[in-house]
Amino acid sequence: MKYLISSVIILTCLAVAKFLTALLESSFPAPLLGMVLLLVLLLTGLVKEQHLKPTASPLLNYMPLFFIPAGVGIIEHLGLISQNWTLLLTIFIVVPLTSVLLIGAVIAYFKGRENDS
Amino acid sequence: MTVSLWWLCVPCIIALFLVLRFLNAKTQHATAKALSNPVCWAIVLTAALLVAFKLPYEPFAEHSKVLSWLLEPAIVALALPLYQQFIHVKKNLLLILISCSLGVINATLVASLICYFFAAPAQLSASLASLSVTTPITLLVTESLGGIPSLAAAMVIFIGVLGAIFGNLIFSLINIRNAQAKGVAIGTACHAIGTASLISDQPKAGAFASVAMALSALLSAIIVPILYPVIQHVLV
Repeated sequence: MKYLISSVIILTCLAVAKFLTALLESSFPAPLLGMVLLLVLLLTGLVKEQHLKPTASPLLNYMPLFFIPAGVGIIEHLGLISQNWTLLLTIFIVVPLTSVLLIGAVIAYFKGRENDS
Repeated sequence: MTVSLWWLCVPCIIALFLVLRFLNAKTQHATAKALSNPVCWAIVLTAALLVAFKLPYEPFAEHSKVLSWLLEPAIVALALPLYQQFIHVKKNLLLILISCSLGVINATLVASLICYFFAAPAQLSASLASLSVTTPITLLVTESLGGIPSLAAAMVIFIGVLGAIFGNLIFSLINIRNAQAKGVAIGTACHAIGTASLISDQPKAGAFASVAMALSALLSAIIVPILYPVIQHVLV
């Protein structure tokens, strides 16, 4: 029964999100809208954490499994990757480095460099 | 291999992933743990197998659809950790929110600029616009931008491994020891794999990283689809 309730909550959010994105002809990903809807339901207290856990916990625990097929799709683009490997390598290093430096500097500015514990 | 053997995809992926996850759980050293990331290796090994046996991707995707379908409800379920993290950090929420937004904007902006200088094709720059976020979200955002979701996912996973290995070195080089600064920076830029590397030996930074990871998932979903077309419009 508890599995049924939590599954229904998750699937309802997903269905409503799909309906809304289809209605508005938006390219916004429906599962993300569903996530936001569910977050609002949790924050307003309409859905309680324990109602959600029975299905949400195993789904989250095995989530990496669900995007393995999508990741394997990379084999269709090996040509594009080998043609642009310098670009990909540059982005691979520069993007996370600048983000880490920027965020580290901003927070260190407000909170100090030393450990605040 | 005959066509009739395609049904083996799903059981093989599950078995491979569980074995890799088990081996990863056994590793103690932080760097070894990051390098033996089970998702990364499951994708690499499966892809290598398909390429080695000259198997096409399409029937593979067709027969492993069950797993891809489950991704949608799993993303909806991400609201739960997001909610659990929100109630923890009310006090610091504004600063973390601003930092995460800056990180997400920076990632999209820097990637777009680099693509511009390299004169990269549009499909490629769309694939690299959403890298400061957890893998399932990047798949969706990249698809909505017209990029290649699997390429974005691979980049995100590799960036996570990079952050897990070199994160601490960077912080000691720029002399930052504040747990909140470290955590939010790694959580936003290097998401789950970076965060996992912090949790074991720096629990306080790890907690901030979890919050930042959850927030950047939400922020990326909102910011990137709006920001990316604007940047492209300005650059072109």
